[in-house]
Amino acid sequence: MTDSLLSRRALMRYGAYGAGAAALAGVAAGWDRLTAADIPGRDDGSLVIATLGSAFNPEAQRALRDGFREVHPDIRIRINPVQAYDWSDFFSKILTQIAAGTAPDLVYVATEGVQLFAQRLGVPLDRWAKRDAAELRTYFADVHPSLVESMMYEGSLYQLPVEFNAADMYVNSRVLERAGADLPDDDWTHDDFTTLLRAMKRSNGDRFTPYFWTNRLWGGVVPWLFANDTNLLTESKAPGGDWLWNSFYPEAQRRGRGGGYRWTTPLADSDRVAEVYDYLSSLVQEDLCTRPEGGDGRNLVGVFSTGRVGVTPAGGFWAGGLHEAGMKPADYDVRYFPRWRTRRHQFGAAGYAMLRTSTMRDEAWEFIKYTARKDVMTQLFAANQTTPARRSMVDEARYRETGPAHWQVFYDTLDKIPTTGPIPAPPQVNEVEQLLIKHTGTALASPGVVRPALRRLQGDLEQAMEREV
Amino acid sequence: MPGPRTSPTASRVRHGLAPWGRIAGLALCALLTLGPVIWTVSTSLRTPAESFDLPPEIIPTNPTVDAYRGVFDQIDVWLYALNSTLVTALIAAGQMITAGLAGYAFARLEFRFKKPLFALVLATMMVPLQVTMVPVFLELKTMGLTDTLLGLIVPAFPTAFGTFLMRQYFLGMPKDLGEAAMIDGAGPWRVFRSVYAPLAAPGLAIVGVLAFNYHWNEFFRPLILETSTENLTLPLGLVSLQGNLGTGSISVVLAGVVLSMIPAVVVFVVGQRPLREGITSAGVNR
Amino acid sequence: MTNTEIRPVGPEPARTRKSRRNRRTGQTRKASESTAATTIRTRGTRLLAVLFLAPTVVGIVVFTVVPIVGSVVLSLFQWDVIDDPRWAGAANYREILTDSTVLVSFRNTLVFMVLAVALQLLIALVLAIAVNGRMPKWLRSVFRSAFFFPLVLSAASISVVMKYLFNQDFGPVNWLLGTVGIPSVPWLTSENGAMAAVVLAYVWQQFGFSFLLFVGGLNNIPKEVHEAASLDGASGVRKHLAITLPLLSPTLLVASVVGIINALQVFEQPYVLTAGGPGDSTRTVVMVIYETAFEQLRFGEASAVGVLLFALIMAVTALQFRLSRRYVHYQ
Repeated sequence: MTDSLLSRRALMRYGAYGAGAAALAGVAAGWDRLTAADIPGRDDGSLVIATLGSAFNPEAQRALRDGFREVHPDIRIRINPVQAYDWSDFFSKILTQIAAGTAPDLVYVATEGVQLFAQRLGVPLDRWAKRDAAELRTYFADVHPSLVESMMYEGSLYQLPVEFNAADMYVNSRVLERAGADLPDDDWTHDDFTTLLRAMKRSNGDRFTPYFWTNRLWGGVVPWLFANDTNLLTESKAPGGDWLWNSFYPEAQRRGRGGGYRWTTPLADSDRVAEVYDYLSSLVQEDLCTRPEGGDGRNLVGVFSTGRVGVTPAGGFWAGGLHEAGMKPADYDVRYFPRWRTRRHQFGAAGYAMLRTSTMRDEAWEFIKYTARKDVMTQLFAANQTTPARRSMVDEARYRETGPAHWQVFYDTLDKIPTTGPIPAPPQVNEVEQLLIKHTGTALASPGVVRPALRRLQGDLEQAMEREV
Repeated sequence: MPGPRTSPTASRVRHGLAPWGRIAGLALCALLTLGPVIWTVSTSLRTPAESFDLPPEIIPTNPTVDAYRGVFDQIDVWLYALNSTLVTALIAAGQMITAGLAGYAFARLEFRFKKPLFALVLATMMVPLQVTMVPVFLELKTMGLTDTLLGLIVPAFPTAFGTFLMRQYFLGMPKDLGEAAMIDGAGPWRVFRSVYAPLAAPGLAIVGVLAFNYHWNEFFRPLILETSTENLTLPLGLVSLQGNLGTGSISVVLAGVVLSMIPAVVVFVVGQRPLREGITSAGVNR
Repeated sequence: MTNTEIRPVGPEPARTRKSRRNRRTGQTRKASESTAATTIRTRGTRLLAVLFLAPTVVGIVVFTVVPIVGSVVLSLFQWDVIDDPRWAGAANYREILTDSTVLVSFRNTLVFMVLAVALQLLIALVLAIAVNGRMPKWLRSVFRSAFFFPLVLSAASISVVMKYLFNQDFGPVNWLLGTVGIPSVPWLTSENGAMAAVVLAYVWQQFGFSFLLFVGGLNNIPKEVHEAASLDGASGVRKHLAITLPLLSPTLLVASVVGIINALQVFEQPYVLTAGGPGDSTRTVVMVIYETAFEQLRFGEASAVGVLLFALIMAVTALQFRLSRRYVHYQ
């Protein structure tokens, strides 16, 4: 008994020594990993660029980095793809980095955060854009002025848009066929839309929902607000910006442009907004549309590609996603968002913003210019995971393999409908989006609660907009 | 002693339900408990187009590992696994040391302020992580540990539950063991070193397994602290599989979930007993 | 596996026997112990205690106590990380106490706590008693493992799975309910449905903890008690209510204390499943702290909410121990 006990004890002791030694060895070997000293480009004077991790695939990121190094061998860069599941999550991560004292030099920012960054953290690009005007002329000629204007704040330019997505309407061909309906025409109205949903519902049986949408700032209620000639917040334009319009855009495209958007007084208790919510609520009651689920719409590709959903709002970014899920170009198509009082669409765009904390501003500008090059964008967006901001890239060849057949709709949403504008995203955007999602959820959760919910939305938005950001 | 305990009548009296009814009920509950896990594994092996098939095909007719390939294509699984392993292993080792030492002190050493100190340790179990997160973040910043794995590891070394557990464990050892050694002339260190410490291994295993289980799955702290891709742990790395604006594929997401489950399942199989005992011991009143 | 394997943690019987022997041999020397040696020993003990406690106590002071004080201080300032903090005094508390979202989040958290803890304890207790009954050993161990398994999974990733399962139109849960004739439930998109889904997802993962506690507790109840009860004619439910429960009350106390402390800090499930919606119906206090701090960068207000939550947890725990003096029976 004693013997076996002793040997067991000895065994345990040696085991403990072994484990201890292994742990020490592990710590020694992994020390650089533990202190993150092994990350190339960390704390060594590299230009640090934070991108939304899920937006580009790793290969595209590598290509971007290597390509830039070839052009500028003297500038060391590090691309840090921040993992986040939506823009507001991404922005809070960036703000955390700034708080931690590890701020990047450049941040990939979408419309959602343009003003937030511009107001608190951004550097206007005016100086460099004027200096390198000759070089940029081909870029601006290829990019719709509405996209550029959405990247301006109080007269200054903060980003060069490289991608955008307008909320157009995707239609599932198989569902359409079963309903015996034709592809809607360019001028369809929200009444045509309702009729189509009813036809789809009748012919597609249980476990089918004609209209799927995600409750968020981009592509949720807002496109309907735009179609009904209203908005979540009163929209106006800041003065200024002439320096840009005059040097890059012809007379016809300059008209009515300003120094960026201003979003101010909330409009949630207005009749037009209520009209939109009443309409959506009636669709929910009729089982024609999903109840608004908060968050990321992760179910969407699966349910759309398998014919469990008929129509859903999305932009060019979805062509790549549906292709990956195995949909053929003939399986779906894209149309404009249905018209109501207007044909106005909403979009979100994105580009790189320079941070005030950056000590490498000239180098940062070189990177911004580099990413706006057509060859670079072509390589980066090869998988159709978004709509390129350059008109000349939205072409037949790009959509041949993935579809949709009516790919022209993507850029025509800007070209043919000049009123199309960005989602309302003032500097208080995080709180505004949170309030919108929250009260939209309540407004449509049960019948007859639209108005009280909108009143609360109005009150909360007023409070949020008053807050200094 | 009353009559034969194996007789069916006795057992019916004891449990109110016929054993077969009870067993069937338990089996149903077990199925419901494992159902979500089974569905996850099965859906990750189907094509995205079949993800939403109802009734779900539990055993896929055309199983495919494409989704798993997708996970490896999209994120650096090995790096994240290495990070997770480093973080959890070092935290587990650290907690075994801190909890072993402190638990012993609370159980077997006499000193002033013992009770209030122990109460302080226990009270930290009530402090929500989110309450202390911001100040901890600022402390780590002054130490230069933000966005490093060490920043995740070091603050996790002290463990209230582990200390409590080891105290209980040492209290459960016969006191006369140490007394006898003392009478033999052993000092307090010798008593610990040669009498009690060698007996503590099973208790320490419990602390280690519990720490591993908790920190392997940890989400909130790495979410706030780690901002470089290179520093992500597995649960966080998997978040990116969800895709931007709903373009991710559900099979790939679920394949990621399954991959992150594997180590937890290994620990479940290998370390089930210490885990169970660790949890059970919390309920034992001494 | 046998029942006896679940025993209170402690050394094996063999060692106990050995210790007795040691004591016997040692007793003869006890008289010769000098007072000087005792003093040295006490001093040594103190030094050892300091050394042994240092890592834990220093760690707790640095990473818990100081941060709590820091949170209280921070709650008196307005601070957004980027600019310097500004003194706000009690303004943050005034603001959060009139903020409907904050108030609702406290209500939600309490509702969630009551539902989740009650359901979790009930399921765990019933299953523990059922598993404790007569059955083949292998079967018992299969059941025990199954009920305990969700506990080892990550709450965040399992919530991702739950989000698919609870989808109103395409999820397996509604399909399963449909097969027994229950019409489609708007789990994540109606206020009550969302709370129910969050509670179910949480309980699904957590009940294994209480289950194991109860299994351990039941094993500690001497067999004779059951048998005596059976002889007295007590049967089934009555027996458990009258005899098992009181004997199990210390375990129940621990299970409910731990359950309540955990439930008051729930985050992952509502964060992933419902994002707090629809409306504020599943927004919990910890979610509000996270959103206020890390999404809106209002660290002062976030700290104030945190301080209130901490106070609530302390109050509830104190109340429980107070009540337990009356209702918990120790053997």
